[in-house]
Amino acid sequence: MKGGNWSVWAWRLGILIAFLAAWEYLTGIKAVSKTPGLYWIDPFFISRPSAIAHRFAYLMSDEVRLPLWRMALSTVQSTLWGFMVGITSGFVTGLLLGRSDQVARVFDPFIVAFNSLPRIALVPLVTMVFGFGLLAKIVLAWSIVFFIVFFNTFQGARSVDADLIHSARFLGAGERQILRTVIVPSTLAWTFASLTPSISFALIGVVVGEFIGGESGGGLGYLIIQSLGTLNAADMMVALFVLGAIGIVMALGIRQIEVRLLRWRPEYQKR
Amino acid sequence: MSRVRIAIRDLSKTFHQGPREICAVSGVTFDVHDREFVAVVGPSGCGKSTILNMIGSLVAPTSGEILVDGSRVGARSAPQIGYVFQKDTIFPWRTVERNIALGLEYRGVGRAEVGARVKEAVKLAGLEGFEEVFPATLSGGMRQRVALMRSLVVNPEILLMDEPFGALDTHTKLNLHAELLGLWGSRRQTVVFVTHDLSEAITLADRIVVMTRRPGRIKLVYDVKLPRPRDVIALRESSEYLREYGEIWHALGEEFQERLS
Repeated sequence: MKGGNWSVWAWRLGILIAFLAAWEYLTGIKAVSKTPGLYWIDPFFISRPSAIAHRFAYLMSDEVRLPLWRMALSTVQSTLWGFMVGITSGFVTGLLLGRSDQVARVFDPFIVAFNSLPRIALVPLVTMVFGFGLLAKIVLAWSIVFFIVFFNTFQGARSVDADLIHSARFLGAGERQILRTVIVPSTLAWTFASLTPSISFALIGVVVGEFIGGESGGGLGYLIIQSLGTLNAADMMVALFVLGAIGIVMALGIRQIEVRLLRWRPEYQKR
Repeated sequence: MSRVRIAIRDLSKTFHQGPREICAVSGVTFDVHDREFVAVVGPSGCGKSTILNMIGSLVAPTSGEILVDGSRVGARSAPQIGYVFQKDTIFPWRTVERNIALGLEYRGVGRAEVGARVKEAVKLAGLEGFEEVFPATLSGGMRQRVALMRSLVVNPEILLMDEPFGALDTHTKLNLHAELLGLWGSRRQTVVFVTHDLSEAITLADRIVVMTRRPGRIKLVYDVKLPRPRDVIALRESSEYLREYGEIWHALGEEFQERLS
């Protein structure tokens, strides 16, 4: 197994290096020699690894008014807030509606209607109401995460095994104890399964918010839009790479939490 | 005979399935005495589990009544009743130890006492070393052991068991029979044990209620005369066992045959 891991990692590294090298090389070949600006593959549009690395170092430095790390921090911060608020509210709502047939029936059409609305259409409205700052981005991330978690929790709350509830009752449990020891843990299993998609979607919500939010909201989405305005491919690539890195780290972190919380499930019991 | 703990009087249950009415149990009357082990046997679909569910308040009778210790069974099950389900109902998100502790936690028993009683139960069930394991890694037999100990640890005076060993292989089943008889021998709960396995009923019970096929009525009530303590393996070779098996099998066989014809 260990040897297998080694070769997998070696392959991955090799592919990455080959990709970057090809990118660097191909964007350097001129179509007509010595004529400036005529390339087979024009770095004006997709930049080059060396230029991107250069811009990365520059944007990280204190020479710029809004350094890159502060933009990244702003994006991460809004994502995590939207994620946490979305999970909490989605779980509570899903549990309440899932355990009461009457309430579920009353709210059903509203939920379906709101969920089928493309969330991106809400961006201008949210910006109008919550301004251009952090709050608007959090609200956008929340509006996506909430529904993912809500639907999962709702399903989970409705599929609690009735025999588990009966057996708890025979062991002397009251209604509150049943809620705490049967319904909540059984539902949480479904909720946890929605954590990984939720974090990715929270990031989408935040970046879209940053596209419109302008400088006061900051963030990597702002850097992307600014680069579009100045036709600066290198800066845009920097933003994309950093966003990708943030996405990977967050997804891995959530995965760790998920494995820890669901370690009782057969599919998490490899070891 | 000692006092009656469960009195079942002219009990009937009709289920409605759309426009159809299915009569599952019809005019069943029998008593279960204190410290008695009664098995209810019958072909599948004869309503034997329904009777157990009615004693445990999971299903309301259509007519007739059930008295547990003299009071009529209502919407909530009597507190002295424990129930072991056919299906595995141990909580997958709790370790073995914390599953067994459930009933004690519900009753607000202090932490130290819970620890001591769970430890004793784990030992009795031969689950040492598995205390902190999640149920997903356990075999069917071990899971059912956990379920049994979880019910027994709160000392129920009456134990209702709905084919608890139905899904297990013969070998595991025999082991659990021996363990159940051992546990029952020391505490002597009043037990109603539902099964379709006749040899299981003879091995365990003092009395066997044989049901007809649907609508379930009582075909006969049979007193098992095998002496206790019983050895679940040696028992099967004894001539008394074979004779009793033959007698009940004859009655039960008629029920199977009628269905075929």
